[in-house]
Amino acid sequence: MTRTVRLLASASVLAATAIAASPALAAGTTAGTTITNNVTLDYKVGGVDQSQVTASDSFTVDRKVNLTVAEVGSSTTSVSPGQSATVVAFTVTNASNAPLDLALAATQLSGGTAAHGGTDNFDVTGVKVYVDTDQSGSYDAGTDVEVSYLDQVAPDDIQTVFVVASVPLGRATADVAGVRLTATASEATAAGSLGSTVTQTSGANTAGVDTVFADTASNGNTARDGIHFAEDDYTVLAASLTATKSSRVVSDPFNGTTNPKMIPGAVIEYCIAVANAAGSAAATNINISDTLPDETSYDSAFGIKLNGTVSGSACNADGTSGGSYASGIVSGTLNDIAAGVTRTLVFRVAVN
Amino acid sequence: MKIWLALFALLAPAAAFAADTVSLTSKVFVERVKPGADGKPVTVREAPGVVTPGDKLAFVLRYRNAGAQPATGFVLTNPIPPSVAFTGTDDAGAVVSVDGGKSWGALASLKIAQADGTSRPAVAADVTHIRWALARPIAAGAAGELSFRGVVE
Repeated sequence: MTRTVRLLASASVLAATAIAASPALAAGTTAGTTITNNVTLDYKVGGVDQSQVTASDSFTVDRKVNLTVAEVGSSTTSVSPGQSATVVAFTVTNASNAPLDLALAATQLSGGTAAHGGTDNFDVTGVKVYVDTDQSGSYDAGTDVEVSYLDQVAPDDIQTVFVVASVPLGRATADVAGVRLTATASEATAAGSLGSTVTQTSGANTAGVDTVFADTASNGNTARDGIHFAEDDYTVLAASLTATKSSRVVSDPFNGTTNPKMIPGAVIEYCIAVANAAGSAAATNINISDTLPDETSYDSAFGIKLNGTVSGSACNADGTSGGSYASGIVSGTLNDIAAGVTRTLVFRVAVN
Repeated sequence: MKIWLALFALLAPAAAFAADTVSLTSKVFVERVKPGADGKPVTVREAPGVVTPGDKLAFVLRYRNAGAQPATGFVLTNPIPPSVAFTGTDDAGAVVSVDGGKSWGALASLKIAQADGTSRPAVAADVTHIRWALARPIAAGAAGELSFRGVVE
């Protein structure tokens, strides 16, 4: 008959639970590691030391496959219509306790709510995936290499991946294109080639290294499928320019500047007002050209006034001299026009 | 002799032994929290099937005095295996070492020297060895069990 006894030593008591600290676990012990517990027992019989007794037990650490894709930053990427090489960045982390190849795929949303709340309503073009080869944290064209997978990613390794695309012309402010970067756990079988997709060990535990998926359900992902994605989006910020041309009679040969009439010899002032709507992107390189009617002649004494202002819808006919006139065409370049700002180009002609 | 005993202990812990021998086994279990019969979570100990980093382990040490005489001076020493962080024990009487077995004491009394010359109180994860010294003799035929817990790093 076996009697189980639990003997208490008189020595100090260890209050274990009160001081248990969580060890810093990241990817953790490498898969395939054998952990062996060895215990030794010394004792005496009849006051005589006996041979030491030992015992041990071992198990193998299995492979926990966990990967994370996360957006870098937490806001949309503002783009202009027609902009090329627009970049959104992601980090891809191998949180497994074994090296992995990570297959990468960039896909576009088709409608629905994008990462930052907008509604996806267009696709960017020429989508490519680059790895941050020089680890600069920013996309460097010509340096960073286009990839379809990350090769031999070590446990705990984090790599930055850029999705680079172009924005079609003609998109309006607040248009949104959502993109998704998906990483799939793959076997790190050989350097330089993408291994087969990792599969979870099904059925009973085996003596060898089993595979357990441990990826999370964050950000709409499916937990424990060996696949993880994150989304980001592009939001268009376009300039929204409107040009308005107005004119007034400055003087005529008979009335002078008092109630002038539109008669031959009268001086007409033209004002071209360019307005950029509130909430738009600043407009740059604004070139204006205006062909004069045949029945008029350019007033070179007045010249051309650029970057004038308006009061409401009334042209103030102010500004600084600039621009040029040649072959019946008035032309000038306005300064950059910020959102909500109007600039004018003013010139005068005489009626023939 | 030592090897034979260890092997025998592993293979047939309950078998009869020659006189004046004490048998010893070490078993590792994974502690998992599962819903019990009443729906409340209960911690169950399973054989170490699928074990991955972060899993909680229970190391169970069983001894039995298979001899005809009482055994005294019982000292059971267990180095914490590599890749395992000690988290605690419920069995009273344990002393631990945080310096590879050079010095022993209750965890709260131990300090860890730091690079800047100061020291900090030791925590469970610092433990390198655990030891039980049993004051009372183990009667012939008596058996017992001691255990401690850890987590796969």
